[in-house]
Amino acid sequence: MMRRLRRILYAVPIGILLITTVFPYAWVLMASFKVHEDLFSRPIRWLFSPTVENYVEILDKGFGAYFLNSVIVGICSTALCLTIGTLTAYALSRYRVPAGQHLFFYILATRLGPPIAYALPMYLIFDKIGIANSLIGVILAHATFNLVLVVWMMKSFFDDVPREVEEAAFLDGAGPFRVFFQIALPMTYTGLVAVIIFVLIFSWNELLFALVLTGGEDRTFTAMIPSLVGHPKGLWPQVAAACIFQSVPVLVLIFFVQRYLVRGLTFGAVKG
Amino acid sequence: MQDRGDTAKVRIGKFDLNSERAFLWVCLVPVLVFLAIVAVAPTTAAIIDSFRELSLLSFGARGEFIGFENYRELLSSDKKFFTAVWHTCLFVVVVVPIEFCGGLAIALWINREFRGRRLILTLIMIPTVIAPIVVGLIWYLFFLPTFGLFTQGLNDLGLFRDTGVFSTPESALAVLMLIDIWEWTPFVMLILLAGLTAMPKAPIEAATLDGASRRQILWYVQIPLLRPLIVIALLLRSIDASKIFDTVYVLTGGGPGDSTEMVTTFAHRTSFMTWNLGYGAAICLVLAFASLVMAAIFYRVVARP
Repeated sequence: MMRRLRRILYAVPIGILLITTVFPYAWVLMASFKVHEDLFSRPIRWLFSPTVENYVEILDKGFGAYFLNSVIVGICSTALCLTIGTLTAYALSRYRVPAGQHLFFYILATRLGPPIAYALPMYLIFDKIGIANSLIGVILAHATFNLVLVVWMMKSFFDDVPREVEEAAFLDGAGPFRVFFQIALPMTYTGLVAVIIFVLIFSWNELLFALVLTGGEDRTFTAMIPSLVGHPKGLWPQVAAACIFQSVPVLVLIFFVQRYLVRGLTFGAVKG
Repeated sequence: MQDRGDTAKVRIGKFDLNSERAFLWVCLVPVLVFLAIVAVAPTTAAIIDSFRELSLLSFGARGEFIGFENYRELLSSDKKFFTAVWHTCLFVVVVVPIEFCGGLAIALWINREFRGRRLILTLIMIPTVIAPIVVGLIWYLFFLPTFGLFTQGLNDLGLFRDTGVFSTPESALAVLMLIDIWEWTPFVMLILLAGLTAMPKAPIEAATLDGASRRQILWYVQIPLLRPLIVIALLLRSIDASKIFDTVYVLTGGGPGDSTEMVTTFAHRTSFMTWNLGYGAAICLVLAFASLVMAAIFYRVVARP
């Protein structure tokens, strides 16, 4: 009996918390299945006949293609900054790199400034080399801003890998490339997955660079949402549908991989 | 192993593709080239712009170098800038401690095994993992004038009958803070929960054997062990909160008047609406410099043993 009571007492705050986080989202989910009159009513219409009209409409507006663009940008920028970042992190963790501390701090600094400070100069430079208004520009921009997370987190994970294992491999005649790919990298697996999820989501959700650096057909999904908001007729049910469309992939991903987030997001700072 | 870099130097003469020296090149050349193209170049361009009188709308301002004039004007006489700075500081000082305390409490509360943990954690993380612009729009729909759910609730209580929540200066800023807290508390929770999960069990067990109470364990064992992650969470949140843009941009655009103007929205307005690029660059660099100072201070705290 007492145990049961304690269980209930434990569950109450979690219940309140869940309502706080889920309810606003659920409400927009509901709005995305409403027609305009059902959403703009007073009092609130809790019961209504749901329609998929809004989703059909945004697909008609080409949001399917923008979705694909977002996937391409997410995957390419993640692959790019992960390749560069893990190598850098490993070098900083294992070797005495000339001016290594400065390099580290400079990589950190790219994330410190507000994106808005770099968006326009980036656009002007990309325009000169002919990659403005294309996906390549935004891929590079996202990779730059995520690079610091990759280097920072991966360096701490590499620091945690015991060096004896690598020493042994070196003694057995393995070269540094083999040691890196077959020993050091696999040993940071959990952290690596956490970093990948983080970077993917950042890129998927990013707005400002996508707005400034892409144009026309090459916009990402997130950058297209404001175009619905600004519509003079007020397409709010479609905005809701676009928001749901944009966020569902993230939530599904999080559900399946959150084990890695909870284990991997330690920045290597707690030794366990 | 630290001296591997030195032993590699002995073999400078011959080029061995599998040598450590070659490996180090492979590690560092990509990052240097990459940073040069996409980080150094734009930063340099931004710095140069900040010394010019550059505007796309005014014929008189075609990019003459005017030295520190932009900075002088910004830091000595621009009232709008100081209003934006004040709002940003106020914002950070209010939201970060609340997010931290909330995140810590939730992390400690949820740090145990129970049924449905995976689903519950996913649901708690919703505000953090969805895009900031989506967060903004969700709350916009909530506070929609006349028809929004919260607006109707507040109206029934006799509040905000004549003006919207976002058209009253005080409530607009307060709601933006509330949204930020809603959005980022789960993020702090996630970082601290990761720390609690990875924490070695031995010190806690030892303290329990010595008869320490739960509160003592929390205060003298868990919190000190979490310290590095607490610093990281506070650092990330302070820097990111000072750069808040997306939600303000969608919800208030800095208004009504300039009551929710942040440094970033002020910079955005200057650069992309009045096209005063040189001045806009100066604003951004001042903000970047402030973040850098903040990070340096935090770094010293982390580095302290």
